[in-house]
Amino acid sequence: MMQVMDSILTVILIILALLTLVCMIKAVIGPRVGDRIVCVNMMGTMVMTIIAILAIKMKEGYLVDICIIYAMISFLAVVVLCKVYMGVYAARRERIRSKQRKEDVEASANESAESTMSVDGKQGDESKNGTMECSEKEAK
Amino acid sequence: MEMWTNIRIGLGLLVLIIGILFFLLEIIGIIKYKFLLNRMHAAGMGDTMGICLSLFGLMIINGLDFTTAKLFMVILFLWFASPTASHLISRLEAATDEELGRHVRIDIEKEELEK
Repeated sequence: MMQVMDSILTVILIILALLTLVCMIKAVIGPRVGDRIVCVNMMGTMVMTIIAILAIKMKEGYLVDICIIYAMISFLAVVVLCKVYMGVYAARRERIRSKQRKEDVEASANESAESTMSVDGKQGDESKNGTMECSEKEAK
Repeated sequence: MEMWTNIRIGLGLLVLIIGILFFLLEIIGIIKYKFLLNRMHAAGMGDTMGICLSLFGLMIINGLDFTTAKLFMVILFLWFASPTASHLISRLEAATDEELGRHVRIDIEKEELEK
């Protein structure tokens, strides 16, 4: 029975290795960042199963400790990747927004400059008139 | 006594193989679906059910031992970690996808997600 169990566990290990390979290919071709993170998470799960099966197959109980540590590090990797990509996306959007805001400000500045120029022209005329009146008064 | 050991190992191998079948289903779902939130449905199934059944099978094979307690600790940790990871990934997808409205209906403001 032990030999049968060993051979079945070997076959299961080979199947899991093939599935992990498929996961890795999927992680490479996944179009978005989220697909890649999901595939990395899945790969972590499968590697944990492989380590646990090895621990039972080789009768080495301490390999399960590595399994626990692998679970924790895999979870940490997913959390950190999510936070990092959220930050990258926010920074990119903020850059695009600030560029748009700058363009808006420039456009409104041009408009206001034109309007102030016209206002200045009127004011200049008035002041000219005023100075002319003043000079006329002085002349009188 | 020998018979009971054989029955225990056979039962454990059966449960382990069912768990491996869940991993196969996970891969099929990942390849079949096109949108990430559908893919996460398949991936979450393998993350919880697949590894739980696999490790329960290994626990049955191993018998009552300290190693069994450690395997149970792995399952306990995954029960907490896997939903949290899925939540974070879906939040990332919902916050960063510009064309999210093409796949799902959105009821909240997108600004709330980006925190």
